[in-house]
Amino acid sequence: MSLKSSIATAAGKSSYWFLHTFLKGGSSLPGKITKKIDPNILQNLARNYDVIVITGTNGKTLTTALTVQVLKEKYENILTNPTGSNMEQGIITTFLHAPRTKNKRPLAVLEVDEANVIMVTKYIKPKAFVFTNIFRDQMDRYGEIYTTYQKILNGVALAPNATIIANGDAPIFHSKQLPNPMIYYGFANQPEGDIKATPNTDGVLCPQCQHILHYRYISYSNLGKYFCPNCGYQRPELNFALNKIVELTPKSSKFEIDGEPIKIEIGGVYNIYNALAAYTVGRFMGVTPAQTQQAFHQGKSIFGRQEEINVDGKKVTLILVKNPVGLNQVIDMISTDKDPFTFIGLLNANYADGIDTSWIWDGDFERLPKMNIKQFITGGERYKDITYRLQVAGVDPAKHLVEPDLDKVVEMIPNAPTEKVYILATYTAMLHLRKVFATKGFIKGGLD
Amino acid sequence: MAYTLNVCHLYGDLMNTYGDLGNILVLNYLAEKMGVELTSEVISLDQAFDPDKYDIIVFGGGQDFEQSIVSKDIQTKKAGLTDFIEDNGSVVAICGGYQLLGHYYIGANGEKLLGIGALDHYTDKQKDHRFIGNVVIENEETGEQYHGFENHQGITFLGQDERPLGKVLEGHGNNGQDKTEGAIYKNVYCTYFHGPILARNNQIAKHVLINALKRKYPDADISKQEQLKVAETF
Repeated sequence: MSLKSSIATAAGKSSYWFLHTFLKGGSSLPGKITKKIDPNILQNLARNYDVIVITGTNGKTLTTALTVQVLKEKYENILTNPTGSNMEQGIITTFLHAPRTKNKRPLAVLEVDEANVIMVTKYIKPKAFVFTNIFRDQMDRYGEIYTTYQKILNGVALAPNATIIANGDAPIFHSKQLPNPMIYYGFANQPEGDIKATPNTDGVLCPQCQHILHYRYISYSNLGKYFCPNCGYQRPELNFALNKIVELTPKSSKFEIDGEPIKIEIGGVYNIYNALAAYTVGRFMGVTPAQTQQAFHQGKSIFGRQEEINVDGKKVTLILVKNPVGLNQVIDMISTDKDPFTFIGLLNANYADGIDTSWIWDGDFERLPKMNIKQFITGGERYKDITYRLQVAGVDPAKHLVEPDLDKVVEMIPNAPTEKVYILATYTAMLHLRKVFATKGFIKGGLD
Repeated sequence: MAYTLNVCHLYGDLMNTYGDLGNILVLNYLAEKMGVELTSEVISLDQAFDPDKYDIIVFGGGQDFEQSIVSKDIQTKKAGLTDFIEDNGSVVAICGGYQLLGHYYIGANGEKLLGIGALDHYTDKQKDHRFIGNVVIENEETGEQYHGFENHQGITFLGQDERPLGKVLEGHGNNGQDKTEGAIYKNVYCTYFHGPILARNNQIAKHVLINALKRKYPDADISKQEQLKVAETF
């Protein structure tokens, strides 16, 4: 390591120690300090590592956690970055406080923001990339999915030997010819027909001839076994495939990958994709299917992101919703609950929520009246929008309460007519609720 | 008497960025309250548009790439769409849909892309800047106020025959210069509002349905439908 890098590392490490000890946080500042002293610091810090980069719109965090869990079956001391530290400075910080290992080639599994892939590949040549999906995110919906993909590819271009492990069901990931070796995973679990995606799905143009893509089947949104009836463009052969969904509940999924039975302790078809991605990385890295089963079984705590909160005897599940695809997956997940429940929808429109609330109209709320929901509550700063959305969706006004004030919404929970309560909330509404839950002692800490 | 209205969701599978489907859901919701049956179908690439089949067209906004593809395809539907509009058909056109009914717009790479010129406006592009935020406008004929959210790089300038949908009270509107937002021509309502516009502004949805009923059933008594009270949703 050069003298400059040594000084930079020392400065970064001590600032990390200071921030961590006295301010209980600070995940990007040490990286910032270090980078200022030595712009090439990442190259030095990561030079011995085999790095796997995970990127995409939805599912990065869980896929990263699951991948680490799977790879632990074969490798020791895997370095990974905490949630939210997925930009350049956060990644530098991650390497800065990596414990020393005896491994000659330690492994790092990194969640990287789409636009930051190039910041990483400038200095590190990863062993593999994982592409989860690219959807329209309501935070930056004027940014195009094609622009987002191009940003990722600009980063990938600096690492042409890295293997790309991509969601084969996403048409966009097969749209450009790349020099990299490719591995595709996807779903092969439904009977084949000839269908189109629903009208409010984005990214359904054939990348070759710009006609509307058709599907043999769709798993969700624009993911599925696509083909173009005009030019013959189609989904690539899958290297690893989910071939059966056995049982879905809001808290678990049982399925088979290449005939191997797997259970994960989290609901939602989108999380099966995350597990399938982790499984595929595991196979790529020499982890056996049996070891992966074991990893998913032992790694139950990873799924704790959707923990059940006990609020005066009510079983409350608080779920973040931020874009239409994610929202529809959550609606799909709660539909698998066999018990009656109370539905709470909370909409804020601050910057962190997305200031444009129009995306709620792309959510499939029309499914709610068909579920076993005994009471609906809508609230938040934009309660009028979400309330009217549910009215139009056909929710019975006699079962529907409206309460703009989030503190009062919390007070209504003990009076809910059911034991189970699902709360779908945008980012700042969720933070607000977590704070209130923490103050009342229902959960530890307010922010995580 | 049983009333039915048929909606053409024009390029609904490509021009759908801003919750545009919500406009159809709201039309359907209010039509039901009026005792009107509403059907809707997507007409997209390589499909013919038959003006005699529909009473209302909803034409949403899309991403740059999708809009450039639609700009080519819509030329094949130009005659039908123009006939429909001239024959007092009801249209709600948003953002990219609004731009494509005019003469032209400037695409992402600065190229001039054609609309169908059924309406007399044209759209240029701001350099590296977008109008983003909440908008409030007032329609000068009815005095109604409309609320929405705008997010557009295009700046649109109205032609001789067009009136604005409203005067800008808050936000930027068509071009940030002349205080106009959107356009009205015959029974065509154009706007940069997302929201989607009809969900936030039930009055406009009601105008669209009433105009369509009057055109399709000129001799019917629709006073009951006209009396429908629409709620404030914003």
